[in-house]
Amino acid sequence: MEFLGKIIISGLMNGSVYGLVAIGFVLIYKSSLLLSFCQGNMLVFGAYSFWAFMIITGKNIFLSFMLAMVAGYMIGSLIERITLRPLIGQPMLAMVTITIFLAQVIDGIIVLIWGSYPLQQIEIFPRASLAIGKMVVTTEVLYAFGLAIIAMVALMLFFRYTKIGLAMRGVAEGHQTMQAMGYSVKKILNICWGVAGIVATLGGILLGATLGFQLTLSSIGILAIPAAFIGGLESPGGAILGGLLIGIVESIVSGYVGQAAGPPASFVILIMVMFFKPEGFFGLKEIERV
Amino acid sequence: MAFKSYYPPSGIYSNSYKKDMRIIKTKTQWVLSGLFFVSLLAIPLIPFPKSEYVLRIVIGAGLTIIMCLGLNILTGYCGQLNIGQSAFVMVGAFTSGLLNHYLGWSFWICIIPAGLAAALIGMLFGAPSVRLKGLYLALTTLGAQVILTYICLFGLPISSAGFDVEPIKMGSIVFDTPQKFYYIAMLFIMVMIFFAKNMMRSGTGRAFIAIRDNEKAAAAMGINIFRHKLLAFAICTFYAGIAGSLLVHYMMWVQLEIFNLQESVWYVIMILVGGLGSIEGTIFGVLLMTFLREIIYVMGPIAEAALTFLPIGAGSGILLLIVGVVAVSFSIFQPRGLAHLWGSIKAYYRLWPFGY
Repeated sequence: MEFLGKIIISGLMNGSVYGLVAIGFVLIYKSSLLLSFCQGNMLVFGAYSFWAFMIITGKNIFLSFMLAMVAGYMIGSLIERITLRPLIGQPMLAMVTITIFLAQVIDGIIVLIWGSYPLQQIEIFPRASLAIGKMVVTTEVLYAFGLAIIAMVALMLFFRYTKIGLAMRGVAEGHQTMQAMGYSVKKILNICWGVAGIVATLGGILLGATLGFQLTLSSIGILAIPAAFIGGLESPGGAILGGLLIGIVESIVSGYVGQAAGPPASFVILIMVMFFKPEGFFGLKEIERV
Repeated sequence: MAFKSYYPPSGIYSNSYKKDMRIIKTKTQWVLSGLFFVSLLAIPLIPFPKSEYVLRIVIGAGLTIIMCLGLNILTGYCGQLNIGQSAFVMVGAFTSGLLNHYLGWSFWICIIPAGLAAALIGMLFGAPSVRLKGLYLALTTLGAQVILTYICLFGLPISSAGFDVEPIKMGSIVFDTPQKFYYIAMLFIMVMIFFAKNMMRSGTGRAFIAIRDNEKAAAAMGINIFRHKLLAFAICTFYAGIAGSLLVHYMMWVQLEIFNLQESVWYVIMILVGGLGSIEGTIFGVLLMTFLREIIYVMGPIAEAALTFLPIGAGSGILLLIVGVVAVSFSIFQPRGLAHLWGSIKAYYRLWPFGY
């Protein structure tokens, strides 16, 4: 029982980061009906740029955090401006494949700037451990969890109450309607990618702080895909719940079956959900008309 | 492909559908194709420097052509994205390798179950996604990559170091050197290209194209969408299985590490650079990208040593960056790939000097 509790807590912690990364997928899917495969690499880029800013600013956490956010926004909107805007009106296949290729480009840039070995670990959150009953949780992980939750709530408020957030939801509904209402769809898509970059950077920083700054962090971009899908690709709240669910399942499976069994298990769930409820648990069911 | 049927060579008038569908239309084309075949057969006999190294690259490219042909039938013709092709190559490789290692079956028997196993597992993964519209197949194939790698690593009675496989034998001839294996590879590549080319001229091939272009219209014309998508996926993974079987009997060793997601992404890049929905394009794309990769493999360490301001281990970044930029610029500026360029060159040659 104690073991199970521990596993569930660690699953919740991982799951919150999955949820955060999954929100990035949802943001892009909602605005352009496109599944972005370069989210994981944007995440690594954000984490690495945060690390670089930490070194440059002499470990000023707040300043480097802000600078990394700006860098994340820049890379997101640059990707949209340079590569995706020329493809407006092209088939979906072209847009999805281009995000796969962009993953290579971003990876290449990261390796060229920072090398392919893990970066030196720097302490971001104060390191201590906390006992809940008989279970021990490091404060590092708790900070990451708290930040992830705050970010999610902030994003949900952003979608609900700000003008740009509402416009993004409108763009998701239909490009022509929004254009007719006087919003620039291109501009909003650009902002969407920028916000997705910010979200990726945030996830990257949290992961980097707990797991270390290394290239393999980009695999989280792939592992968060089931989370986004299970929740429903249209719903930020669903992404968070999907992330938590995937996190828990993954840590239970890796706890009881074997360390490497977690990711396959979450993809098995993805395929099951696709079979029985293809729109996800909180997504919109599409009605097709000719 | 379109160029051939739309613009026949000058002076050739197709007065029956059969003539119109011919791949090789004139005597000159017959002669040129014959010369091309003969020169292909002569490649291993030419004693040029580092011939074994070059031959290994050529064989590697040849096997990649088989994998990419399957992928192009699915992605280019039927419009479904598959980013787990190397997982299905792995299924073929392991089926063939295990049958050979434990049961002692020869390659000629192993290759059939290898292809069928890959197709069967492919259909298993494809079934939930081809029911749906959109790019769900990309997700399940990604899942296939993760799940199948796990199953092969932990579910099979092997160690991660791999196990050995016998080379291909035919009577008393053992095809264990690149010079000899080259002919086996060529045989299979020719058969697979022939099959793909003819498949795409048949009713099934046209149904694939109809599904890619407009699913609703295709359904309205009486094409069974589910069955055809699943068939396209089965063909794609069958090609992967055949290539995997050839690969293990060529390397005489099965190892897990070469079948990763990066390889699958490579295959997608190759068919996109070559041209989606084009058999010739697949060949061009594979050859170009293999050539590029070899150049960068050779140049990478030199560049890393010369450019001292780069961090340690930056050599692999050069490869990723160049390949990524090539792929991105192809999909923005030349979305129809090298096949389109090839068609334009042919049109220019045919219309010269009155081309416009």
